[in-house]
Amino acid sequence: MRNTVNYFLISPALLISILIVFIPGLLTVIVAFTDWNGVSTTPNFVGVQNFNELFVDSIFWKALLNNAKWTLMFVTVPIVIGLLTAMMLLKRKKSKSAYQLIFLFPYILAPTTNAILWLNIIFNPVSGVIGYLQEIGIPIDSPLSSVDTALYAVASVDIWHYWGFLTVVYLAALRQTPAEQIEAAYLEGCNGWQIFRYVYFPSIRPTFNIMFVMIIIFSFLTFDYVYLLTGGGPSHSTEMLSTYAYTFAFSAFQVGKAAAIALFMSFFGLLASCLYIWMSRNDLKN
Amino acid sequence: MKKKLVGLVTIFLVMVIFAGCSNDSKTTADGKEIITMWFWGAPPEHQETLKKVLIDKYNKSQNEYELKIEYRNSVDKDISVALSSGKGPDIVYGSGPSFVIPLAEAGRIENLDKYAEKYGWKDRILDPIYESGTVNGSLYSLGNSLNTVGIFYNKKVLKDNNWPEPKTIEELEKIMDEAIEKGMYASVTGNKGWKPVNENYSSLFLTHFAGGEKVYEALTGTTKWTDPTIIDALDTSADWYKKGYLAGKDYTNLTFNEATQLLADEKAPFFFGPSLVYQFAAQSFSGDKAKDLGFMAFPTKDHETNEPYYTLGVTATLSINAQSKHKDEAAKILDTMMTNEFMNEMTKTWPGYWGVPLKGLQIDTSDMPELSKAYAETIKNMVDGVNKGHFGYYSGVFLPPATQQIFLDIESIWNEQMTSTELMKKVQVEFDKEKEKGLVPPIPKPSE
Repeated sequence: MRNTVNYFLISPALLISILIVFIPGLLTVIVAFTDWNGVSTTPNFVGVQNFNELFVDSIFWKALLNNAKWTLMFVTVPIVIGLLTAMMLLKRKKSKSAYQLIFLFPYILAPTTNAILWLNIIFNPVSGVIGYLQEIGIPIDSPLSSVDTALYAVASVDIWHYWGFLTVVYLAALRQTPAEQIEAAYLEGCNGWQIFRYVYFPSIRPTFNIMFVMIIIFSFLTFDYVYLLTGGGPSHSTEMLSTYAYTFAFSAFQVGKAAAIALFMSFFGLLASCLYIWMSRNDLKN
Repeated sequence: MKKKLVGLVTIFLVMVIFAGCSNDSKTTADGKEIITMWFWGAPPEHQETLKKVLIDKYNKSQNEYELKIEYRNSVDKDISVALSSGKGPDIVYGSGPSFVIPLAEAGRIENLDKYAEKYGWKDRILDPIYESGTVNGSLYSLGNSLNTVGIFYNKKVLKDNNWPEPKTIEELEKIMDEAIEKGMYASVTGNKGWKPVNENYSSLFLTHFAGGEKVYEALTGTTKWTDPTIIDALDTSADWYKKGYLAGKDYTNLTFNEATQLLADEKAPFFFGPSLVYQFAAQSFSGDKAKDLGFMAFPTKDHETNEPYYTLGVTATLSINAQSKHKDEAAKILDTMMTNEFMNEMTKTWPGYWGVPLKGLQIDTSDMPELSKAYAETIKNMVDGVNKGHFGYYSGVFLPPATQQIFLDIESIWNEQMTSTELMKKVQVEFDKEKEKGLVPPIPKPSE
């Protein structure tokens, strides 16, 4: 009887998980092996054809490489900025809250707002900062227009919106560090770096690990800023797996191929999740 | 107890299923049936025009139905998702015939043959446009407006710099070189925020440099896309881009709106773009400036033949949802949109988007403002040109969807990420696959 009640109580959550996670996930796997165009009622089973076509598609590999570069940038730049800023804010008594609010501001704005702001106020060659610099004789072009710089320009905007969030998360974790450990470290004559390395960092490691893994997962799912700022261009220089899948699904009517790309994205997310489980187990052992 | 529990779970499941299946009410408070149409996110002033000319007029004309238009920025995506689940609006807006074919083959949109017969659409609509809306010989969509890519120019800039209106490509290039020397843009345009803008330039170079006849051969499979004439045309597009003839380094940084503003601000003599740009020009060429805006057909490489020559396209297509309960009424609304009266009234305040593709186009420009007059004139000239067979093809209209996506990659040639031959080899592979699936729309033949 107790079991029945338990099953009944979990049934809403279970039902929702089945309906919006498990079934769509399963359908995505099935569709990846078909030539479904998104509207047809009779898709054909094509085996691994979608995967074979992707493996010889240079744009797919470029998108994968861009995702890897993106991940590398995101597991370094915003983490370093976030940790540094959080450490600096830790010592501030009165202004801490105000700074957190300011740093968090880009994060709470909608991606569309941020993208429009950067496109029109910074990168615009007519009315933006770039246009102004050109007008006063500084030979500068919008980094979004070059195949060599566009990816870094888009990543910069996304990092600009994201690092404040990391700062707030790290700061919250840092504040949980036991005060006696910090005092003891000072009494032992530790310098700032040593206190961070041997006291603060071990204390925030679980938070650091989960954020690290989440960044990897989100990096392989990234879509909004790329789509809004460049649409994957110029010449696919900012193409991501997500934007490429979107093009296949909604412009080329090749939903089967889009699903195949989605499986790759999920695969990398799964790898990151495995990494997190491994790190958590190691932490528990230690 | 167990029975009660099973009963409760069953009720819960039934409620969830019914909640998912429930549909919005399709009736107004005063009992009128609602007919829906989804449209792209047009600016408020244009929405107002559509309201006055189409919605209000239709709603006042009878008491049983009410037409409602919903404006959505992602209309294409929304429509394909909605139709695939058997939902969506009664009147289906599409971005071109190649968008319509998969929907028609899946039975998501209605066969319009009986309405074509009832309203005489075949006799009224330009043959190439009517044909482009057919799938396996049956009509599934109507092009709402003609669209062509040509040269917008600032008359004052040409006059101030003693530049004549260019009649040939050589003259055009000469003026653009001089403009660059003077620190101006050679021309303005840009694909910021909307990558499919590239289709205008792949179409332009195919039509005016490779020629409509050569592209016809490729579209019908009698020649390959890797034909040297086509490769040369694409190589020329890369030369133009590198010389700065397509907005220099700002191609990816400008929208059509910003580009028309630059043209109005006399920063460039030309703007190569689709005739639908008239709708953006209304903001920047306002007041006295309106008379400064000119439009001409793009010259062809072999300029002695068949000029003026047009890239044949439509701005959008209109179809009827196969699941609609009001198909006859939806067809009646489509019919009102295929008339001279509708074209004239819409163009008066919304030039650029409603050049209805009628064989017997009758335009009354007497009370139209300057830009509307110019647009109406452009469409009239285009109708003459199309009737004579002087046309090439818009890639977004006459190419199947996946092949069209590859054509959008023309900027990869410009940025030296691949060669024209490599791109066209990709096109050929995808085109062959889509042709086999029957996804190539009917191709009208241009005159020789």
